[in-house]
Amino acid sequence: MDSKTRQILCELQDGFKLETRPFKRVANKVGCSEEEVIEIIGKCRDDGIIRRIGAAIRPEQAGHAANALVAWDVSPEHIDEIGEALSELREISHCYERECPEGWNYNLFTMMHARSEEDLRNLVASISERFKFNGFKIFRTEKELKKTSMRYFEAEKL
Amino acid sequence: MDDKDREILQMLQGRFPLESEPYKVIGDKLWMDEVSVISRIARMYEAGVIRYIGPFFDSRKLGYSGCLAAMQAPIDQLDRIAGVINQFSEVTHNYLRDGSPNLWFTVIAPSAARRDEIIASIKQQAGVEDVLVFTSRKLYKVKVDLD
Repeated sequence: MDSKTRQILCELQDGFKLETRPFKRVANKVGCSEEEVIEIIGKCRDDGIIRRIGAAIRPEQAGHAANALVAWDVSPEHIDEIGEALSELREISHCYERECPEGWNYNLFTMMHARSEEDLRNLVASISERFKFNGFKIFRTEKELKKTSMRYFEAEKL
Repeated sequence: MDDKDREILQMLQGRFPLESEPYKVIGDKLWMDEVSVISRIARMYEAGVIRYIGPFFDSRKLGYSGCLAAMQAPIDQLDRIAGVINQFSEVTHNYLRDGSPNLWFTVIAPSAARRDEIIASIKQQAGVEDVLVFTSRKLYKVKVDLD
């Protein structure tokens, strides 16, 4: 990654200022054109360094009262099929297969967001009937103790 | 929050317009003017519905090593242990959950060695027997959708 890209990403890592031309501000700061900033960001998105550009919302503020981490015990031969199918569900925001410590068999991790505890239970029940699981565990969100965005870039020292 | 707000949120969850005036582009798609789009977004920030608009980086592609971790914290020591965990800037999320283990947090560090060092330090300072570590094998989805 070149120094200009790094500088641009550093400027953007705390998010866009809410203004009509957010890229113009970055361009002025970094000392290049607005077009160039947009082009470099687009390239980072194409390369996958930026996996998406958009909003992070607080699910509980957006009417999702029941949020839970649900971990599923899935056999390796079914994991892709189930992982991909669960990713289609709008109530699931995160879906990962994870390496697990010994004695822990729940290898597919999903974050679920429902409007009520009842909706959450129905959702989990319908998923558990639809696919072949060896078991699952629900960990309801009780309290957010920390939620921040990672800062990957340090301002370049001159 | 009304339907217009939800439409805007929906647009912000998808592909953010990489254009000189992105909110004008969003407005054009929703039959709204740019000023209304921006003021509605401002209100959603204030209400806490939106906490960030900007790029989301792929930590792995940037060379970082992350994991989900969990431990069982005694309820009477929860505040102290949460403080131990949260002191690290490399810990980005931490949640109290029902069931056991009850504390779930994420670590993103510049190297696997640093990540393991943080986990070891948390384990030692928290005084718990075990911290479960779950590294990701495959990402199927990461996104928050709204209807």
